[in-house]
Amino acid sequence: MTSININKEKFGQLIHKEKPVLVDFWAPWCGYCRRIGAAYEKISEEYSDILIAGKVNIDEEPQIAEAEKIEIIPTLVLYRDGKAIDSIVAPESKIMIENFINEALEKIKGGLLYE
Amino acid sequence: MNENHVYDMIIVGGGPGGYTSALYAARAGFDTIVLEKLSAGGQMSLTWQIDNYPGFENGIDGFSLAEKMQKQAEKFGAKSEYAEVFNMDLTGKLKRVETSSGIYIGKTVVIATGANPRELGLAKEKELIGHGVAYCASCDGMFYKDKIVVVVGGGNSAVSDAVLLSRIAKKVIIVHRRDTLRATKIYHDQLMKTENIEFRWNNTVNELIYGERLTGVRLKDTVTGEENIIECDGLFVSIGRKPTTDFLDNQIELDNKGYIVAGENTETSIPGVYAVGDVRTKLLRQIVTAVADGAMAVHMAEEYVEK
Repeated sequence: MTSININKEKFGQLIHKEKPVLVDFWAPWCGYCRRIGAAYEKISEEYSDILIAGKVNIDEEPQIAEAEKIEIIPTLVLYRDGKAIDSIVAPESKIMIENFINEALEKIKGGLLYE
Repeated sequence: MNENHVYDMIIVGGGPGGYTSALYAARAGFDTIVLEKLSAGGQMSLTWQIDNYPGFENGIDGFSLAEKMQKQAEKFGAKSEYAEVFNMDLTGKLKRVETSSGIYIGKTVVIATGANPRELGLAKEKELIGHGVAYCASCDGMFYKDKIVVVVGGGNSAVSDAVLLSRIAKKVIIVHRRDTLRATKIYHDQLMKTENIEFRWNNTVNELIYGERLTGVRLKDTVTGEENIIECDGLFVSIGRKPTTDFLDNQIELDNKGYIVAGENTETSIPGVYAVGDVRTKLLRQIVTAVADGAMAVHMAEEYVEK
């Protein structure tokens, strides 16, 4: 499954889904964002069982970026139940993105145990 | 993945040097794999307009050029894998490469890991990346519309960053530790035409000043020792590059700056291991010289494998 393009309406719905949602904040003029693109799509396929991967173009959706306090792109944020669990800025490798996802998922699991 | 598979050639790094090696190797009938941690192109993929790569009279952006090089190599049978290299054992006849996606074994290895921007090494520099500190004007420049930015450095990339930023920012201040630029003449002419660029000669940045984000930098005059603070919203560091050779763990001879010692024939201190592109000792680090290295490495590797 390829990643979903997210607009303002979708964003509110998506981050409250049952599955965790990974969001890539990007813009067409951002070189680092392009570098991440192909690896991000691969990850969205490989992790499709456990999360939904989406993308927010901050030029088209500046309100989301502002509300989520995105100051630099690319920023990846993992959401669960409407809350941002963790974020990573300009990851330098595919494995860094995967480690970020796994650590954030662990946090969610850990959190549930103590609730 | 089959960890017993023996590749004829393992190429570490998917920039222009790496994918040219892959193209030549695949066409020579080598069983070839390129290991790349993020995307083809390396540093080149962050360059928006490349005007000095022959064959593209209107220029081409680095990301597209990288994708083309990758596709061309893959068309002839080279494979690519997302893998970050952690460790290598290059001393044996069969070379062993440990990565984030498993172990790869090869008869020959081409190191094409390139170089990354050098940091100033100041306190809080890493934490302030994205909050005022940046290394890539073409990537992060857009965040500084009508702001004041400082560019550190005096080479070609510093000057081209300054010119690019001058079109976005209100004011650009170039801080350089010498009293002249190292940049080539075509850049000087552009600079002189630009009104909102100022110079601080004989100065170094020796402290970052910040609240929630960068608010200024402290400069030190290298001649008088005098210090003063200038307010700015952004700091673009453009003081050269450092080669990506940490993972080699002293197996290969490096020069005092960390570049792999290798001549025109790309041979390193270990037989069957070649260094191509920005990562090796060379006079001119350009895409055209990196691709030339790529072809040369395969030529040498063919001789080596036949022996």
